[in-house]
This record gives sequence, structure tokens and C-alpha cells, in this order.
Amino acid sequence: MQLTGLPIETVGWLAAAAALLITVLYVLKLRKRKVEIPFSPLWGRVVTAQKDRTDWWRRLQRFLSWLIHIVIAALLAFAMLGPHFDDEVLDERHILILLDNSASMGATDVTGGHSRFDVARDKAREVLDTVGGNDRVMVALFSNRVQPLGPFVDDPSLVEASLRDLQVTANPVDLGQALDFAVDSLRDRQPAELVIITDGAGYDPDYPPDVDFGEEVTVRHLAIGERSENLAITAFNARRYPSNRMDHELFVEVRSFFDRPVDATLELSADGRLIDTQSLSLGAREIHRQFYPGQATAGERLEARVRLNTPDARDVFPLDDRAYAVIPPPSRLSVQLVSEGNLFIEGPLLLNNHVDLERLDPDGYDPNAEFDVTIFDRVAPEPPATGHLLYLNPPEEGSPFEITGLEDSPIVTDVRREHPLMRWVTLADLNIGETNTFALAVDDTPVVAAFGQPIIVARDDGERRKVGIGFDLRNSDFPLRVGFPIFVLNVLDFFAADDVEMARSYATGQTWAIPVARDADTAEMIDPDGQRHRAAIQRDAALFYGEKPGFYHLETNAGDITIAANMANPEESDITPHILEFESAQVDHQIDDLLFDRRQIWIWLLFAALALLLVEWFTYNRRWTV
Amino acid sequence: MAQAAPQSADAFDEAFLKKLEYLYIVSQKIAAGKHKAKRKMRLVGSGIDFADHRQYSPGDDVRNLDWRVYNRTEKLFLKLYEEEEDLHIYFLVDTSRSMHLGAPNKWNRARQVAAALAYIGLSNLDRVSVVPFASKITDRMAPTRGRAQIFKVFDFLDRAQPGEQTTLKSAFKTFVSQNKRAGLAVVISDFYDPEGFEEGLNILRYHRFEPMVIQLFDERELSFDLQGDVELIDCETGEPRQITVTPAMMREYTRVFEEFCQELETYCTQRQILYFRSPIQQSFEDLVLKIFRAGGFLK
Repeated sequence: MQLTGLPIETVGWLAAAAALLITVLYVLKLRKRKVEIPFSPLWGRVVTAQKDRTDWWRRLQRFLSWLIHIVIAALLAFAMLGPHFDDEVLDERHILILLDNSASMGATDVTGGHSRFDVARDKAREVLDTVGGNDRVMVALFSNRVQPLGPFVDDPSLVEASLRDLQVTANPVDLGQALDFAVDSLRDRQPAELVIITDGAGYDPDYPPDVDFGEEVTVRHLAIGERSENLAITAFNARRYPSNRMDHELFVEVRSFFDRPVDATLELSADGRLIDTQSLSLGAREIHRQFYPGQATAGERLEARVRLNTPDARDVFPLDDRAYAVIPPPSRLSVQLVSEGNLFIEGPLLLNNHVDLERLDPDGYDPNAEFDVTIFDRVAPEPPATGHLLYLNPPEEGSPFEITGLEDSPIVTDVRREHPLMRWVTLADLNIGETNTFALAVDDTPVVAAFGQPIIVARDDGERRKVGIGFDLRNSDFPLRVGFPIFVLNVLDFFAADDVEMARSYATGQTWAIPVARDADTAEMIDPDGQRHRAAIQRDAALFYGEKPGFYHLETNAGDITIAANMANPEESDITPHILEFESAQVDHQIDDLLFDRRQIWIWLLFAALALLLVEWFTYNRRWTV
Repeated sequence: MAQAAPQSADAFDEAFLKKLEYLYIVSQKIAAGKHKAKRKMRLVGSGIDFADHRQYSPGDDVRNLDWRVYNRTEKLFLKLYEEEEDLHIYFLVDTSRSMHLGAPNKWNRARQVAAALAYIGLSNLDRVSVVPFASKITDRMAPTRGRAQIFKVFDFLDRAQPGEQTTLKSAFKTFVSQNKRAGLAVVISDFYDPEGFEEGLNILRYHRFEPMVIQLFDERELSFDLQGDVELIDCETGEPRQITVTPAMMREYTRVFEEFCQELETYCTQRQILYFRSPIQQSFEDLVLKIFRAGGFLK
């Protein structure tokens, strides 16, 4: 027998005092109702006769009544001790419930048509409902981030209330982060119970991590989920062709997580209009990739949707059946070319439909004129107050790039291929007659160098961007190469901060940095459900944490932007349930022995005391014990 | 139980007088052929005509023992002779607190019975006296004769003050010392005397009074609507008695009361004392007629 109530010394004193009080009350004469009678000697005879006849029984009756009250007091005292059976777990435990609310928990494959998250939440409630009085419990949601619902508390009802409003997210899962949180939370709080309620889907293949939970931490995994049938769009991208800002290419990746062939339909719509439909026959676990070349769209909201057609199959995870993309409208640039004449640079600019070109002689250059981009060809006058700058073979005097020397027939040895200027451009075997080499400033990036001497440098000081090319285009074969027009486009895109590789698409469960105009200082995001959220602006980008796939609309004081968000996570779309195992800890997959069986003996003791009280009352009123 | 109720001013109203007249007519039929003012008393040795035998009890005059009967039966019997003289009728009416308990109470019934019998006595030209008593005698109505004196009896009974505790012995001692002329002593009481009724009645007998006992009781005393722990207070002595009343105790109380009444009746019967017992819930006419038919009061 275990006692968890008041200290036994306290209860002992209380019980002794109660017994003493009961005895004193029995010894004391009650204040009785007075009744006037005509002749008391007759009653004296009655009492004498009764006493002679039942004296021993009356004593026993009084003793029984006293004994019943003593037993009642003893029962109450025992109840105050808080007795429990020996097999009950009564030690103070810290119970941490990690509740998975990643995207895969939205699958509706469990019995009853509920989502995995609904079942997981019920399991969490089940654990909360049965924790012991000495336990401390905390619930934390986890997907690709951990979100505790509160600190460790001894009242599970506080946590249960917050469980009701929880929803599943479209985020991927990061179990490692959740386990790190668990280890930190349970450190110095042992013995402890770690209950992980998850479907085990979408975890890193390198899992299980070797986590040191501690010696007195019992790890439990309550597996949720029954099936893995899912048809998903795991990628949906749109990219613009470099040569034509109006021309785009779309890419869709559809994965089947069925273990048998299924038929499906892939639909593509723009701004709500269906523009393409394609029937797919997918084998077991097949990945289908579909390209849509030459899509002359711009500024449109694209949506890809896959529908399962096989009659006896059911897609239990609808969250990844849709994917979204937005192709931003191309920006037009006003460009002034300050040159005495250079067809090599003038040609690509004239061919670009999104460039408004104005060519000026150096004598006619006006530094007060406002252009998005100014190109100085072999001159370096006073730069304009605004706009980005491209210097072609700038003279030493007036050049913003410090010239360190002159190299004859330089050999290009270092090309920073990841830089936006060099996208899809190769400079192999580039012939240059002679070139200036630059000294690097703080904000400079050497894009192309010859044996460590930068000859093409990109500068971004936070306010404007500048690109310096150390050689004369006419004194090299660079303009004759197919990559030169692309290089020019890259330069313009670099100035315009226009990423041509992918259209604006963001992954759910991440903090997005959405480029905004330089003069934007307020931003408000409208999510796919129409709810408005404030977004912070930092370094020309609006920061927002998005958890829902769909179209988002960002409103700033300098213009609006529409973006698309997708789950686009093949690991998360693979909703096959997995059982968690750890190398460092034994994992229990049931909670039967965790449950604190509330066999509250004290309640039954109270009932027994009450029953005895009723018996005493009944017998008293029936004059059996008086 | 209820507290003592005030006496009724209308106890002797016109209707009561009509009832008395009726009772008188009835009594005349029962005692037809007798001479007025020649009532016979059962006095031992003072008359000539043999009347009856009765069993000897201590205190009797041994000169009146019937030795012949003793020879035959080896039991002592007294010879009783009838004595003819003007009869004195004394109504000894209990005024103790127990007689005034409840409403209606035994005192009202005692007054009615005393008045009715007094009327008969006055109508027969007997000398009637009313003596209220409790622990002692504080007042008495002098012997009077004639039907017209009934209103004097009424008035006296109305003015009688409640007494305290019943003590037959001391009260009757006083009575016999004040009344040397023997006669019929009608004792109307509940006989709730802690010292017992025997000595009081014996005093009357020893002083040649012919006692007649009328015991009044209240049936409500036998049917207490009472259970549980109570403190019983004797209305006369104030003695408290703590008790837990149970149905079994109520049954025992009834039995004890019956036993008490039986003791009184046995005592009276053994001494050839006329004994009548009546609950106050019974009409007083029935009690009076019962007394008439018993033949002890009407000679």
C-alpha cells in the first residue's frame, strides 16, 4: 500500500482528535427535549423494567453506535492518507508528449475517416486524462519546427484546452529537431516519459539518430496511420527562357505511392482556366515528370492538379494533389548607353524587347537623367544619382573600380559559376587582347579572374549595383560567343534583381524572404484563406512564415506581389507509416503501463463512511442503537 | 403534553343542570322505595340489622369478628351492620397539578362528576360537603343540604384553586381531623401520589369513613406521540427523568399504567371500597350512571 495524501503524522493526530471528540460527545449528555408528564414514578417503573431486561443489550447498542462513529473516523483518516495499491505508479514523472502535426498527419487513412492528426490528438488526450496527480506534463507540436504548447504543468486540463484548436500543417517533418528539444526538456527531470505520437512518415533516411535520452527516460512511440496510398505532385516549377522573357517552361513531377498501377489525370490551369489535361498511367511507385515548354504566359497564377481515376483506389492524402506557381510579369528597364559607338554591346540591348535603350555620346551625357541602368563604354564620367552601373573597360580616372594593372592576353582561370552573371555562360578559351585588373573593394565579388587578378567584378553596396569589365569588348572574342547575349541579359537581371531561373515559389514550413521594392517599409500578407498577417521587412525582403500551400498576396506600400507556396516534399508525400526505433534507447510502442490508473481508494473509503453513516442514522431513528 | 388549561366558566351551565336533573330522575328509579334522609351506611357495630360480611383487615375492631364463620372456614370475617342515619357525603376532589394537565383535563371532569353526585346527594337531603385537596387541604365547603344548595357547590368548585403535589396521606389526615362526623368519602383523583394511595385511603377507613374511589385518567397519557431522547418533567414534583422513548417503552408504559390501575382496583375491591375508573374522554353521564348502577352511592 502506498500513501500519497497527508502525512501520516498529521492524519494520526487528526484521527486521534476525531476519536476523542466522538467519545466525548458520547459521554456528554445530549440536551434533550423537555416533556411535562403527570406522574414520573410510572416512567420510573418502565425504565427500571427496561433496564433490568435489556441492560446488557443497551450497553452493547451504545458501544455499537460509538464503534460505528469510530470506524467512520478511521475511514476518513485513512482516506486522507491517500492510499494506493502497490502496483500503481505514483512517482513524480515528467511526461513529454511530442505530437506530430506535419503534413503527412493530414492523411485520412485511419479507421473512421478521421485524419491521422485527429487520432494522434485523441491519443494525446488519452495520455493526459490518465496521468497521475504527481506527474508533470508538457505537449509540444513538431513538424520542421517544435512548438511547445506550454511548460510542464501538473494540471492536464490546461493542456487539453489548447489541444482542441490545433490543426495539421503542410510542413515537412524534422524529427531530429524534435528529439533535441525532448532531450533538452527532460534533462534533469527524470524519471521521465517521452511519448512520440507520429506516423513516422517523411523522416530523414539517415534516421535513427543516436540520441542520448538519459537513463531514466522511457521512450514510447504511438504509431498512427494504416496505409500509404497517395498520389502527389512533388514538384511544380516554372522558369523563364533566358532568351525570351515572355516565354516560360513548366515542370511537373507526379509520384505514385501506390504499390500497384493506377490511372490519373494531370490538369494544368492558369488563372482558373484549364489549359491542359493529360491522362497518366502510373506504375507502382512510379515517378512521372512532365514538361510544358513554350508557355507564353506571364503574370499568371498556375495550378497543377492530379486526380486519381482508378475506381477502387483512394488517395488518402489530398494535401499534395495540388501545386501552385506564379510567373511574375517581366520588368522593363530603361537603359542609357554612354559610348562613342559599340555595336557589340548595343546589339543585344536592341534585340531585347524589355529594354528601352537610349544611346548617348559622352559629350551628351547628363548625370542628372534618371535611368534604371547606365552603361559606360570606355568612359567614366560622373555617375548618375540613381540606377545601376555597368563599366566596360573604364579609364583609371573616374572608374569606381580601382585598376591595379594591365594584363596582356590574360587567361581566364577563375569563374564564379554560381554568380548570377555567369548563369548559362562559359568563358572557356576566351581570347582577350589586353585587360585591366581591378582591386577588390569591401562589397566586390570577383566574378572572372586571371590567375587571381579580377577582370570582371560585381559590386553590391546595398543601394545600387555595379559591374566592371576590365577589357574592351572589341579587343576580345567574347561578343562573338553565343554566351555573350546571355551575359548581357544576366547583367540586366542582376541589376533588376530578377531571378530568371525559377518563378517565385516557396516551400511551406519555412520563413520566406520575399524581395520587395527598396522603398517598401510596410507589408501585409494575405494567405490562401484570405486572412491577413503582418510581415516584417528586412534588407529589402518581407519575412513571412507560411504553412499552407496556395497563393499568397503580399501588399506593400511600394506595390503588390503574388507568390505561390507548395509543400513539394517527396519525403513528406510518402505517407507510409513507420515504427520508430532508436539505437540508444528501447522504444515501447504501447502506453498501457504508462497510464496512471486512477483507482482512487479514498473515494471508496468516503462512500463506505457515508454508508456507515446512513446505517447509523437508520438504526438510530429505528431506535436500534440507542 | 399540553400545559394546564384555565377552568371553564361555563362548566355548570344550563345544559349541565338539565343533565343533572336527568341523572336525578334516573337515580330515583334506581333507588325506588327508599325513604328520604334515611340512607344506610355500612358502619360496623353501630346498627342492628346484619348487612354483610367482609374480610378482616388490620385495624378492624375484633369485636365484630364472626367466629362462627371462622369455625367453618378458618378465615376471619367481620360482620357488617346497617346503620340508618342522615348521610354525610364528602367529595374529596384532587386539585393537584396533574389534574390540570392538558385540555380538556381531569380537573374539569372531576368537578362535573363531583357536582353531579353532589346534586343527587343534595336532592336526597344528604349533607354534602366538598373538600378540595392536593398535598393538604386549604379550603372546604361546609356540609349543606337541599337541592337549592347546588349552586353553592358550583360556585365553590369554580373557585377551587389548583394545588401542587398529590399527597393523600397528609391531606386525608387533615380531613379526618376536621370532620369528625363519618360518612361517605367520595375521592375523585388520578391517585398520582408518589407515596402511594394506600395510606391515604386507610386513614379514611380507620376513621370510619366509607371511601368511594373514582379514578380519572387521560387516555392521551397512554398514547404519547413521542419518540427519541426526551427529558420527562414531573408536573407536580418537577423531577426530571432523561429517557429515550421507543415504541417498546410506550408499550411498557401502558402495561405499567394498567398495572397501577389494577393495584388500585385490587386494593379497593379487597376492602369493599367502591371503585370506578373512567377516562376523561368518556362522557361524565356514563360515569355517573355507572356509579348509580353499582349501587354504592344510591342506597
